[in-house]
Amino acid sequence: MEETISKEDVKRFEEQYNAELEKGTVSSDTQFSYAWCLIRSDNKNDILKGVLLLQGLCHSGADQRDYLYFIAEGYYKLNEYKSALRYTNRLLQIEPQNQQGVELQEKITGQMKKDGLIGLGILGGTALLFGGAAALVGLAFAGRK
Amino acid sequence: MAATGPYNYSYIFKYIIIGDMGVGKSCLLHQFTEKKFMADCPHTIGVEFGTRIIEVSGQKIKLQIWDTAGQERFRAVTRSYYRGAAGALMVYDITRRSTYNHLSSWLTDARNLTNPNTVIFLIGNKSDLDAQRDVTYEEAKQFAEENGLLYCEASAKTGENVEDAFLDTAKKIYQNIQDGSLDLNAAESGVQHKPLTGRPSNSLHTDQQANQDKCAC
Repeated sequence: MEETISKEDVKRFEEQYNAELEKGTVSSDTQFSYAWCLIRSDNKNDILKGVLLLQGLCHSGADQRDYLYFIAEGYYKLNEYKSALRYTNRLLQIEPQNQQGVELQEKITGQMKKDGLIGLGILGGTALLFGGAAALVGLAFAGRK
Repeated sequence: MAATGPYNYSYIFKYIIIGDMGVGKSCLLHQFTEKKFMADCPHTIGVEFGTRIIEVSGQKIKLQIWDTAGQERFRAVTRSYYRGAAGALMVYDITRRSTYNHLSSWLTDARNLTNPNTVIFLIGNKSDLDAQRDVTYEEAKQFAEENGLLYCEASAKTGENVEDAFLDTAKKIYQNIQDGSLDLNAAESGVQHKPLTGRPSNSLHTDQQANQDKCAC
């Protein structure tokens, strides 16, 4: 799924956020929109900033589920799957039937499983490599004799 | 034969679905892609995405549909999805007049944020709830005509006219491509042409030719 956001959009939301910040109070809508843009970024620092902004919002109010969803998405993009799961779990506590929440959670657990397998694969490969090296050393020694 | 290659469709059309909260945007999409009615569907978070391959004049077209959240607080962020839409489905609920009254604001967004050739289809959803009707067919029809929109009433619940709304939009877009009013090379036309392998040209003419050949078989 391609999720594109133009640089102009990001800039517009950023300017609005900074302007309100300078005045002293940032409205939750402005903070939300800017955070949403940041989470769509490819840059890890931006994503993290977006997550933090949303966490600042999600302490109160009925809009929690939206914040929880995007925080989970942000953590997912940062490869922090355990944190991501914490937030999808909270979302699904509020709305157990939320299909978007369920799908995101499946994506996260799927990735965790895959990473587990990849980890094993790397271990296996390393063992092979070491085994091969040991055999070579053995051969070298054998040749000397 | 003509459909073999890396893609089994020759075009991608991007759609967006817009309108007030609770008018049934996600249910319309679900009915169109899954042919099922989703009861008690929670409000969409941000945007959702659906696809389906359809056929118009013998051409396979992949519809890429972005379903936006209707909540006011998402309005700012969902606006960034309008860009590059070839079709916009603008939905209201025939049993809630307020959703109809807000159409002009949705239409303003759609006009400002899409290209002039974007096909806008107005859908009066929940036609199955005729007893609770709050907006007449005639007045919505008039609104559509005044604003140059395609229009129908539909029901995501029974499936009535849902197929037609999505397909008629595609037909109109395809017609715009054929008569040249929609320039595929223009940025943000909302249409991507996927040339099929084994054929030298990606021109429409070639495609039509191939299609005619296929039909003759």
